[in-house]
Amino acid sequence: MSDRKIRTDGSGATVTGRLRRNVEGLTLEDVGLYVALLLMAGFYLVPIESGLVTSIKTGTAILETAPFAPPGSAGFTLEKWQTAIDALVRGMGNSLLYAVPATVISAAVGSLTAYGLTIPDWKVSYKAPLLAIIISGIFIPYQAVLVPLTQFWSQWVQLVQHLSFVWALGVPDDYAGIIELVITHVAYGIPICTLLFRTYYKNLSEEMIESARLDGASLRRVYQRIVLPLSGPMFAVVLIYQFTQIWNDLLFTLVLVSTESSPAAPVVLILAGLGTSMEGQDFALRMAGAFFAALPTLAVYIFFGDEFAEGVAA
Amino acid sequence: MATLELDSVTKVFQDGNDEIRAVDGVSASIDDGEFIVVVGPSGCGKSTMLRMIAGLETITSGTISLADRVINDVKSQDRDIAMVFQSYALYPHMSVRENMSFGLEESTDLPDDQIQEMVSETGELLGISNLLDRKPTELSGGQQQRVALGRAIVRDPEVFLMDEPLSNLDAKLRAQMRTELQRLQDDLGVTTVYVTHDQTEAMTMGDRIVILNDGKLQQISTPLECYHEPANQFVADFLGEPSMNFFDVTLENGVLRGEAFEYPIDAETEADLGGTTDLVFGIRPEDIELTERANDAHDFETVVDVVEPMGDENTVYLQFAAAAGEDDDTLVATTDGFTRVTEDDTVVARIPEEAIHLFDRATGEALHNRSLEDDIEAVELD
Repeated sequence: MSDRKIRTDGSGATVTGRLRRNVEGLTLEDVGLYVALLLMAGFYLVPIESGLVTSIKTGTAILETAPFAPPGSAGFTLEKWQTAIDALVRGMGNSLLYAVPATVISAAVGSLTAYGLTIPDWKVSYKAPLLAIIISGIFIPYQAVLVPLTQFWSQWVQLVQHLSFVWALGVPDDYAGIIELVITHVAYGIPICTLLFRTYYKNLSEEMIESARLDGASLRRVYQRIVLPLSGPMFAVVLIYQFTQIWNDLLFTLVLVSTESSPAAPVVLILAGLGTSMEGQDFALRMAGAFFAALPTLAVYIFFGDEFAEGVAA
Repeated sequence: MATLELDSVTKVFQDGNDEIRAVDGVSASIDDGEFIVVVGPSGCGKSTMLRMIAGLETITSGTISLADRVINDVKSQDRDIAMVFQSYALYPHMSVRENMSFGLEESTDLPDDQIQEMVSETGELLGISNLLDRKPTELSGGQQQRVALGRAIVRDPEVFLMDEPLSNLDAKLRAQMRTELQRLQDDLGVTTVYVTHDQTEAMTMGDRIVILNDGKLQQISTPLECYHEPANQFVADFLGEPSMNFFDVTLENGVLRGEAFEYPIDAETEADLGGTTDLVFGIRPEDIELTERANDAHDFETVVDVVEPMGDENTVYLQFAAAAGEDDDTLVATTDGFTRVTEDDTVVARIPEEAIHLFDRATGEALHNRSLEDDIEAVELD
């Protein structure tokens, strides 16, 4: 959404003039503030910088230089990145295969649920308990559901058998694990998505919705033409949050897919074992792998950044 | 376009164990094409009444009918009613054109090009043709106001409902829109219910005004009738700025005795009172004449307390000489701007008997209203 305002106050007239004014108006306190901010930024950036430089060092360079120091021309190599990408790229595809649908579905269901729980004038005595039940889902820790979850997928709903026609087409039946992950993450994501959307919808102008109703729009049309188009910023928040959450989750993947040798192994599962062996840790490889695996979440932040900021502010 | 009928409409809100009667048995019959202004202090139930007509609020008891059809259980979207909200309630993600076509798209099966044509026509009517492709956030308050109006007008509904539509505008624009809105309503001839707390809007815009207090209907008549022949003390007090002067008086032998003055009344006036002796005496500030010398029993010596010059007129706060120092017996009078009165002057206030109002002190009901020359009726119908 672009809400650029037409400026009538003459600001932004000359950049240099403004810069001069800014510098002239600087007090000692301002200087102190900026120094403190710079130090804090450095403090937060050092681990990332260390990780990055480590990932491009040779084995000897890692032993000989400080963690945050650059490798120097002799100790520089991209070989670790190459190895990491080779090892992880198949997991990356598998991760996207469940993270994207799970994120989109949980956001969509959350938005619809929240709409139903806020906008229509249904009785509070119906809405409140329903909302309480949904919200309580947020507070159930992953660990608490691991056993019932395995029970559910291994005994009650045996996808490997139900979907036998898919495997007949030549898809490895390990991919049942991916479908299980999608459904599990959607179920687990709905409460938080609903809560986030509900807060957002509560703040929508009531008169605007009423106006749409009087204009002849049904509940469904109000959602479609008014509420959904206005949900952009909150969708950005939910998509980023859910995607990061699902992408980084190791616990459910361990339980539902379990082995990194499986053709359906997600990236986190492969990453967990990357660069560890009997001979010790390959720090450079682990760092390169970690950065590579984090790229999609970074991309999502950059892609939805503007809307994310708007949604968080709302 | 159709008549709108309210029959003992009541709205009760439950607040814990308390019952709040927001609207209490209001009946009114609004003619086809009439401009009705609903007015009252905040919390009097006027917005609730409007929302019940719109179908945004359920009706606890009573019926609302439109063109002889009871619409109590008809959903908002099927009522063919358009509403203009105080906040304008424009759809921020749509352009002005989309805002205006939305209602037609949702409520009719008209083809797109016809809808666009109607939107363009309405845009021209309101002078917003050049704004059609802008977003609401790029418009000023007055422009948004026009779009909100346009959105209602383009649908050509049975009834317009307006909930304080001008209250977010600055004073000058408000006065301008007031006239324009009246002209538009006159041209379109759509039955309109207009809610406001602003008595200027009530007096100037409505064919008839409905005055509510505490959810109860106080009076429904033309603005001038409400002003000059109020049904009760509340109406008399609510309309008019500065408001009517009130004094508690008791009738004894054809004389009204108050704390600060005594006022003899003639037999005709006394006959209106029907034997009630505990009364409230009312006189509008503009009916008080300031003179130099007391001539008869309706002239009172007063001391000028405060003068508020307004330019075209002065508001003068007077104190009865007979009861100097008692604050609650201040008499407010308005005089034209050229009359020179200064503080602490002694002046004579003449209260003409044909201009006085008398109310029953217990019920507030008007027993005697000022007499009107018949030509007022003629001027008003003009």
